[in-house]
Amino acid sequence: MRRLLQALPLLFAISVASFAILKATPGGPLAAYEGNPSFTEDDRARLEHAFGLDRPLPIQYLSWLGSFLTGDWGYGFASHQPVLTLIGERLPNTLLLMGSVFVIVLLFAIPIGVTTAVKQYSVYDHAVTGATFTFLSTPTFWLGLLLIILFGLQLRWLPLGGVSTPGAPFDVVDRLRHLILPVATISLVQLGSHVRYLRASMLETIGQEYVRTARAKGLAERVVVLRHALKNAAIPLVTVVALDVPELFVGALVTEQIFGWPGMGRLFLDAAFRSDYPVLQGILAVSSTLIVLANLLADVAYGYLDPRIRYS
Amino acid sequence: MAIAVLSLVLAACGQPAPGGGTSAAPSATVAATASPTRGGTAIVAIWQFPSTLAAHYANQTVTDIVNYGVIEGLAETNTNGEYIPTLATKVPTVANGGAKMTADGKKLDVTWELKPGIKWSDGDPLTSADIKYTWEIWMKDPKVNNRTGFSEIESVDLPNDLTAVVHYKSIYAPYPLNFFSLMPKHLLEKEADISKTDYVRRPLGTGPFKITEFKTDESITLEKNTNYRDAPDKPYLDKIIFKSVPSSQVGLAQLQAGEVHAMWNLTEAQTPDVEKTAGLALQVVPGPTVERIELNTAENKEYTDPNSVHPVLGDIEMRKALLYATPKQSIIDKLLFGKAKPGSSPVSQGWAAYKEPQEGYDPVKANATLDKAGWVKGSDGIRSKGGVRASLTYATTTGDQLRERVQQVLVDEWKAIGVEVKIQNQPSSVILSGSCTGKDPRKLGTFDLLMYASTPSIDPHSTILPRYHSKQIPTQADCSGQNYTRFKNPDADKAIEEAGSTLDIEKRKAAYAKVMKALNDAYVVIWMYDRANIDARVTGLQGWEANVWRRFTWDVQDWWLKK
Repeated sequence: MRRLLQALPLLFAISVASFAILKATPGGPLAAYEGNPSFTEDDRARLEHAFGLDRPLPIQYLSWLGSFLTGDWGYGFASHQPVLTLIGERLPNTLLLMGSVFVIVLLFAIPIGVTTAVKQYSVYDHAVTGATFTFLSTPTFWLGLLLIILFGLQLRWLPLGGVSTPGAPFDVVDRLRHLILPVATISLVQLGSHVRYLRASMLETIGQEYVRTARAKGLAERVVVLRHALKNAAIPLVTVVALDVPELFVGALVTEQIFGWPGMGRLFLDAAFRSDYPVLQGILAVSSTLIVLANLLADVAYGYLDPRIRYS
Repeated sequence: MAIAVLSLVLAACGQPAPGGGTSAAPSATVAATASPTRGGTAIVAIWQFPSTLAAHYANQTVTDIVNYGVIEGLAETNTNGEYIPTLATKVPTVANGGAKMTADGKKLDVTWELKPGIKWSDGDPLTSADIKYTWEIWMKDPKVNNRTGFSEIESVDLPNDLTAVVHYKSIYAPYPLNFFSLMPKHLLEKEADISKTDYVRRPLGTGPFKITEFKTDESITLEKNTNYRDAPDKPYLDKIIFKSVPSSQVGLAQLQAGEVHAMWNLTEAQTPDVEKTAGLALQVVPGPTVERIELNTAENKEYTDPNSVHPVLGDIEMRKALLYATPKQSIIDKLLFGKAKPGSSPVSQGWAAYKEPQEGYDPVKANATLDKAGWVKGSDGIRSKGGVRASLTYATTTGDQLRERVQQVLVDEWKAIGVEVKIQNQPSSVILSGSCTGKDPRKLGTFDLLMYASTPSIDPHSTILPRYHSKQIPTQADCSGQNYTRFKNPDADKAIEEAGSTLDIEKRKAAYAKVMKALNDAYVVIWMYDRANIDARVTGLQGWEANVWRRFTWDVQDWWLKK
């Protein structure tokens, strides 16, 4: 509880800092109008007033904060839609994408991480290590494009982007086909890092004395590995996984862009290009809150996994 | 499908189709290639997604691409740059009595008559009250993009349901296109704030299609408008879906894979891919966009004094030499795949087009010009004169591959004639911000050479006045002008003022030609090339016609899909 309260000034500081950074970036929300020779200084002044940009910065911030806390997140400058509507439209797509990634990564990372540690230096371990390092060091945009070219353009097995075939009625198979490539792109990269984490900490715990004790007691190897070693080895993984949680909301900037996935990442990127302050601040506020909460969650999970860790 | 086959058969039998729209053809084979079939869904890839479709808020090109099938105005432009009526019976002119200057020659009255029987796509009749309402909204709504033309209107009279008399407080020559997008009074008049209504995403129009679905960043679906004035003959298609693609590369890949039927705005570098794919066709239409390099004739410093002289570019011989050492044609051939034309003026299309070319590439002449003007080559091959080194900066938008390649070519070419050029690019959000507070170097005068593109509207006054009148040089006191080269010529000023005070097209054309000649004689701009609009489609999508002044969806009512 006390830690929750401690998080509040932190969140406030983050929101002030992000507001300041947004305002300091050159261009501004009216830059997009400038290419038009008909756009005059009068038009600029009128729009600045309509969007409230002519007020002093502290007032702009406080009025945003006030309405934000009362649930009015404002309207996007470019789309004239409520920020909550804009987020609401993208969130399901991002949850679907990142949720699938989250589940798949966990499903594969734990068994692969554990088995490679147990069979250290085997051919299997070397193969997995090679693969994880390859994917870890592959930029997402490149991997994504590679998959598109291979499975979309060359083999024509899967669609090149989007969430569904436009104009067609809702179809689960169609949805899944659109999901495969973006999910594979993010999962392969994330899997690499998660497997590395788990393998490293498994190796460390397997060498510990209590594991030797467990073995000496005559426990089955399965029980030793899963109950005694894994529970302790999972602690570092918990941090990594807990920090994945905000991503469920924030989405994947690069991958969503490459695959034309209408999610939070693209919303954020588009808004950033247009300096659409209300949208950017809404997303930043939610994502920073989630990151702070995820850290708290990781701490709580530590306490469960390792009763020696107590916070005072 | 069945309807399409039926109409094919009917056409083949030499009978007019029930709607009377399709032209009768003598044989089935000819019918298949020449006579439109009905039905089907065309999918068009768009790699920008409209944030809004309300014409008075929008500032994206892609909004027009979608809206051309939905929203109409009183008149539009054909490919020759002539005004043609859309919802009006005729385009009012001085000759046909529709446009009248007041006795003192200072004001203008324009009478529009609507075609009878036109309905909005929801079935309500279109009346002259909608014309007046459109003007009112544009003036009243604080979030409207700009008020060009509308702010020149004093009042609108409505003698009857089909007639509106628009009273301009000035001689506003581009009046034919002022009402390019009519708004439905019956739907919107009760709304306090249109920006908070569904109209922002699903505007109501009188066009061949109506918007039935708007899925942000995914797709926009247009369905046949059964209340369209040419229904049931047109449109031929049942639906058009605008599908969001992440980039034009992916759009092209989807076109090649058959996932979409058409895409808009290809780069020149993408054209070889289309040309070598069977079943795809390119449409290269000359566009009004002109890529240019502007030469700053005043000192390169913040809020430069319009009367100061640039130490290097202030010398007209230096400016001439830079032009002579610019290989426009080979840049076009090699970097633009031959899909552009060498530029010659800011107005390359339409009735006021000025096509007198600038002098061609001749590095020998460039060197001779500089030698004669007293610019002497130093030991490093760079010229100087009176202690001033011929060293310039060259700016354009960062991250634009084509522009960066053009820069590399020109830096080498200019070095060869003894002029040192350093590239100093900035993001387009700064360099084209168009505002002094946004640190636009053109506005502040903090550049030597600056390369960018600009697209004039069909009436050249809005381009020529702010860009080439000497009173339009931006200063700290008044930053609104766009005379970025700091070009000053009293004869050109006079010609611009003359052109702005008459509706006589021939007089205006001659006046603008005078301005553009003076501009080229001063060598303050190198007109690089007139950029083409390049669109691509599958060959099965037919009925397209090119229009220089409008985007490729301007005639969607005539599109049809070959089965």
